[in-house]
Parts: sequence; structure tokens; C-alpha cells
Amino acid sequence: MQEKITSLEEAIAPIRDGDVVALQIMATYAAPMTLVRELIRQKKKDLGLVVLIGGIAVDWLANAGVINRLIGAAVTMEQFGLCQQYRKAVEQGRIRVEEISESVLNARLGAGARGLPFLTTRGAIGTDLMKENSDNMKMLDDPFGGMPVMACRALVPDFALIHAHRADRYGNIQYEPGARWPDLAIMPKAAKHVVVTAEEIVDSEVLRRHPERTILPGFKVDAVVEVPNGAHPTSFFPNYGYDTQFHREWTSVSRNDEKATEFIDRYIRSPASQSEYLELIGGEERLEYLKEWEGKR
Amino acid sequence: MSLNWENSPATADYSIEELVITVLAEQFNNGEQATNGMGSFIPVAAFMLAKKTHAPDLIWLASSIGLECRPERIPASTLEAPLWRDSIMYLEQYSDFWDLVQNNWINKFCVGAGQLDQYGNANNSVIGGSDYHRPKVRLPGTAGLADLCSLNKKLYYWNLNHSPRSLVEKVDFISGAGYLDGGDARERLGLGDGPQLVVTNLAVMDFHPDSKRMRLKSVHPGSTVEEVQQATGFELLIPEEGVPNTRVPTQAQISLIRDVIDPDGMRNK
Repeated sequence: MQEKITSLEEAIAPIRDGDVVALQIMATYAAPMTLVRELIRQKKKDLGLVVLIGGIAVDWLANAGVINRLIGAAVTMEQFGLCQQYRKAVEQGRIRVEEISESVLNARLGAGARGLPFLTTRGAIGTDLMKENSDNMKMLDDPFGGMPVMACRALVPDFALIHAHRADRYGNIQYEPGARWPDLAIMPKAAKHVVVTAEEIVDSEVLRRHPERTILPGFKVDAVVEVPNGAHPTSFFPNYGYDTQFHREWTSVSRNDEKATEFIDRYIRSPASQSEYLELIGGEERLEYLKEWEGKR
Repeated sequence: MSLNWENSPATADYSIEELVITVLAEQFNNGEQATNGMGSFIPVAAFMLAKKTHAPDLIWLASSIGLECRPERIPASTLEAPLWRDSIMYLEQYSDFWDLVQNNWINKFCVGAGQLDQYGNANNSVIGGSDYHRPKVRLPGTAGLADLCSLNKKLYYWNLNHSPRSLVEKVDFISGAGYLDGGDARERLGLGDGPQLVVTNLAVMDFHPDSKRMRLKSVHPGSTVEEVQQATGFELLIPEEGVPNTRVPTQAQISLIRDVIDPDGMRNK
């Protein structure tokens, strides 16, 4: 069987400028943040980013000039407010937004995953979303005589980036039960290539004890990298919570381009490794604190 | 809850947030299913209050994920795991949620909007600018609002900043369909239900059954009809029979909100 374990550098290297990259993320949780930082470190540019609800990752990618279009339902850090660098980039025309609703994204990726030209929804009918995105959303008569539906064109990202609880060396991916909302059901299945970071790489025998937790087969995965705390500063249920202090540190500078760039230099471009990054954000003490979160059961 | 909420007397000791919560709570009943989105402390407080008083069998789906959750109090986020505490079921994948919602399950949604217009159309996408791709202000985006608005849901809007900027004649962008151009415009597209109520820091509004224009239902104590009209970016329908004052919270409701549901004061954030 083909081994999929690699380094962050090698995992991200195949992404070409201009590619469409789907990112697992929902406001403050469960994003593959080391892969996001690696996109910035490798100076990728003109990427189209697919998100359900983008958070701090989108703000960083906007500041670093990595993305020039966004296909998604929303971008916000919820309690930490709007993503100011992203917002400015959109307002200045540096990022083009193809806004779609959640059911439309579900349909577009679902069609991509199933090899269909489109799937339909009745969500978003009557909104202006279709007007601004008529290449991908069209009203369609029901061939069976019911009300018209909205056809949502298949979306096939070049890459899907995800973070999971564990993987084996062959790229079989496990995720703990709970909320798997930032679209683990269809997004990686729709993408041509899948890159995964995992909290731990384990022997395949460990996965076999809980095959019901395996969400992606190794043959669908291109690269796996072991990255403990790989979702920081977003939360990773049930392992750790989001980092409030770190999000606030970002929002205290994110309205100011220069300071925002300094932040990204300090936390993203300077550290040579994930362990250096983790030291910078407060090391073992901070990570222990984040484990003791309210959501822990 | 042994507290006798039914016969509890009204109180003058309430904040505007608490008034909005009690008005909203009355809209959610036994046998219904309601959900909240992110940054939604007011709706979450309203659901929790309804469940602790008149609607113990209201089914609350926390942030589209945790079904029948039982958080001890409102946590710092209405999207993250602490809110889903003690759920009976997780809708693990977001497609699980949309599978349920696209039919007529989960029938009520309580949400905020950057702009809301006289026909209850909502905008959380872009404000101003030369065109959609060069907006003056980029808002977060529609998320699931566009879907819930078009999928036969009853929508309850809250707005703690009633002003001509947030309540406008026509939204700059429809991210959530209300009654569109009014009348039967919504019905003609085959969209059921729609916006029911708008609860602000000044007043409560509903929609005229025929024209679908926003109508003043009650004004909060301390505000007047004129004041509310002045703070609104379009002409509100004013019922001929007059506009009553909004019913104020009871002592029991206030103590539930302050001591049990939201001791950390998330409703004020």
C-alpha cells in the first residue's frame, strides 16, 4: 500500500497558483491551521478559497495576498468580530466573492463529489445571490411538474485541506464523533486532491478498533502530516477549545495593515516549525489551558 | 423549575436586552423546533427562557448541531461546543442539518440582520459601493439565512440598534428573502411562511397580512410611535386602533435570565 506521510512543505508544494482550495473551517473551529500557514510561507497566490464559514484563516490569507477569490457562505470570527483584512481586500476589489448559501454549497460540492453536473436546492430562491452568481446557480423547471428548483453547478476544488484526529501512514483518516460540521462529509470527496493534518499518526490496527470513525479512505488522500494542535487557534472538539487570547491579539491589530503584517511575520513567517509556533503562542502551559475547555466532556 | 412564573408580577427593573428576550421567548412554543445561528445570545436566551417557562417541550437545535441541548448557562459562543452540552443528538455533518431543514422540520429561526427592509427582506452581505464586487462595506455573508428564508420557515428578527440605517426602505442586497416586493410576491415563487416579527430596542413590528408591509405592533415603554417612525427608514404601517405598549417582563422572567440562563451577561455583548 502506498504511504502518504510527508512534511508540511511537501504536502502543500503541489498546490499551484490559481488553484481552487477548499478549507475545512467554521468561524472559530476545526481548521487545518498549519496548512493555512504553510500556504502563506510558500507564498502561494491567486488561490480561490472554498469555505463554509471562514474565520481567522481567511483574514490571514487575505493579508498575505494568497487568495483572490472566495466561494463560500460567510466569513466571520463570530464572537471576535468581522475579518477586517478580508473585508478590506473585498472592498478594495482584491478578493472577488462568489457568495453562496449553505444549502447551495452543499449542493455544489455534493454534485462535485458524485460526478453530477449539478444538484438542486430550494434554499436561496428569491435572493440576490443568484443574480450575482448566475454562472453557477440557475432556476430549473421540475420535470415532474412541481415548483421550479435552483440548479447548483458542480464544484470540484483542486485541493481540500482538512485536519483530523488521527490517521495511519496509508492516509486512512479518523475523526471523533461529535460535530463534523465544517464539511467533512462531501468537501474532501469533491476535491481532486486531499491533504490532511492529523493530531496523531497511529498504526492501522488502532483505526481497525473503530472503523466507524474512519471518514476517508486512504486511496482518496494524497498526503498526511502529523501535527499535534494543528487546529490552533481554532477549536478542535473534543480535544481543545479555541484560543480567545490569541484571537483577540489578532483583532487588536487586524484593522491596521502594517501591524497585521507584523503579526503574520511574527507568528507565521518566522517560526521554522509547528513546535516553534506552539512555543511562540505560549507553549505547553497555553496548550494545557486550552484543553480544559467548557466543551470538554 | 418550581418558580411560579405564571403569576409573577411585572417589573420595571429590566434592560432593553431583557425586554427583547422576553418578547421573543413568547414566540416559541411546545411542539415547535427552533434553531439559532452564530453570535446569537439574544435568541439563545429567548429559547432557554421559553423552555424554562411556558414551552418546556420546545425543541431547540443549538447552532444547527446539538439537538435538545441543555447548556447550564449561555457560554461565550453560540456556535461552539459548550452550547451543545447534553444534546440528545448531534447533526454531525452540515448536510445532516440541511437534509432535515429542506423539508419542513426545524420550523423557526431567530436571527439578526445588518439591514432589514419594509417587506422583511434581509441583508447580511454588502452595503453600498459602486457594485456588488466593490461594496462600501462587506458584511459576513448570508451563511444559512438565504436557505432558511426560502425554505418555509418562520423568521424572527432582532435588532438592538433600531435606526434608518438598519431598517431601510429597500435592502442593498437580498441575502434572505422576506416578502420580496410585497403582496403575493413570495407566494408566487412557492416560498411558504417568512418573516413574522421584528423586535428592536424601541418596538415590536409584524407584517400586514395582505400588503406584507412592516407594521408597528407595540412600542416599548419609554418610546413613542413618532420616535419609532423617525428611527425607521421607511413609513411603518400604524394600526388605526392605536399601538399598545410592549408587555414588560415579569420578575420571574428577569430572575431566570439574570441568575440562571445568563449569569455571565452574554446578552449584553
